[in-house]
Amino acid sequence: MTKHSGEETIIAHGVRVEGDFVSQGNVIIEGDVQGTIQTAGDLRIGDEAKITADVTAANATVSGEIRGNIQVSGKLELLPSSKIIGDITADVLSIGAGAQINGKITMDGRPVKKEIAV
Amino acid sequence: MYLYVYDESVQDRKNERELSLIETRLTDLGIAGKIARLALFRDATELIRDEVRRGVTTVVAVGNDQTLRKVLDAVQDPQIVVAIIPLGGNNDIAAMLGVPQGVAACDTLSARLVEEMDAGSVNGMRFLHIATAENVQPSCVCEGKYAVQPVRPSTIEIRNLAQSAEFGTADPTDGKLEFVMKTPRRRWFVRKTDAVTVIPFTHILMKSQKPMTMFVDGEAVEGTEFDVKVLPRQMRVVTGKERKYA
Repeated sequence: MTKHSGEETIIAHGVRVEGDFVSQGNVIIEGDVQGTIQTAGDLRIGDEAKITADVTAANATVSGEIRGNIQVSGKLELLPSSKIIGDITADVLSIGAGAQINGKITMDGRPVKKEIAV
Repeated sequence: MYLYVYDESVQDRKNERELSLIETRLTDLGIAGKIARLALFRDATELIRDEVRRGVTTVVAVGNDQTLRKVLDAVQDPQIVVAIIPLGGNNDIAAMLGVPQGVAACDTLSARLVEEMDAGSVNGMRFLHIATAENVQPSCVCEGKYAVQPVRPSTIEIRNLAQSAEFGTADPTDGKLEFVMKTPRRRWFVRKTDAVTVIPFTHILMKSQKPMTMFVDGEAVEGTEFDVKVLPRQMRVVTGKERKYA
């Protein structure tokens, strides 16, 4: 484990959180969360995490499962083990090979449209 | 006006020489004051409060962490400055405050670097250092917004001024406490490690189905419900330049 600093919140594996989780700093989640997650800082969802919540963060890296909508003002990184069931809004999106997304993706405030070459 | 509270443990013969050096140094620095000696059946709280009523403005614990806790319990007025001259073992708080052992602490006291610090409170009992509970599985409602519960019995620490290799030193001036929960992982044939949850907070309400014991700066509090909160800038404490927090 890295050295903890200041406003950082860590929800470990084996811990259940229910309700409206709000933080001003960086957040690392390895456990289970039901409700909503809102942070002004960066969010990391570990591969053992199970999230059933709408998520709002500045930047996020996901390697676990999220059932809910994700809204990220900066960069959203979906690692190969991630599974998203919900809509995504992000400014920059990175998707690893193997990541699962079931939902609508909106970037830079504009929905991504399917373009067909004529 | 200074009041020096000598703990029972420092009144042994082995500390006689060091105490004499401390008293001489305090006189040289012009900060000598009244001396109160704690004893088994003497109520430290009444003794200190009486002296504060008589005009004492700085109360100095001469002893260890427990002596400082007794002084902090007695001094409820945030205008009164509290300090420690560490003598003997069990002086973790003094080390975190950057106060050296024995006679060297007199110079730190004289430099009078006073810091306003938060106090933690567990069911109204104030603490500077840490509150702990072992092998418990309470539901913890944080800030009245969300509940945190371990899936199996865990160790809980509420840190105000506390030091660890993993987490550094909790800052007692940031207006927050730190909730640390160590939940054992279940792994076969592998050495057991703890999964660690850390949440900075201002208020947590802990509820347990079974009665549990919390040790608040070493003092046991039993119950099924614990109201834990930060009391910002409640204490004025003398610190040294070598203090361990930010």
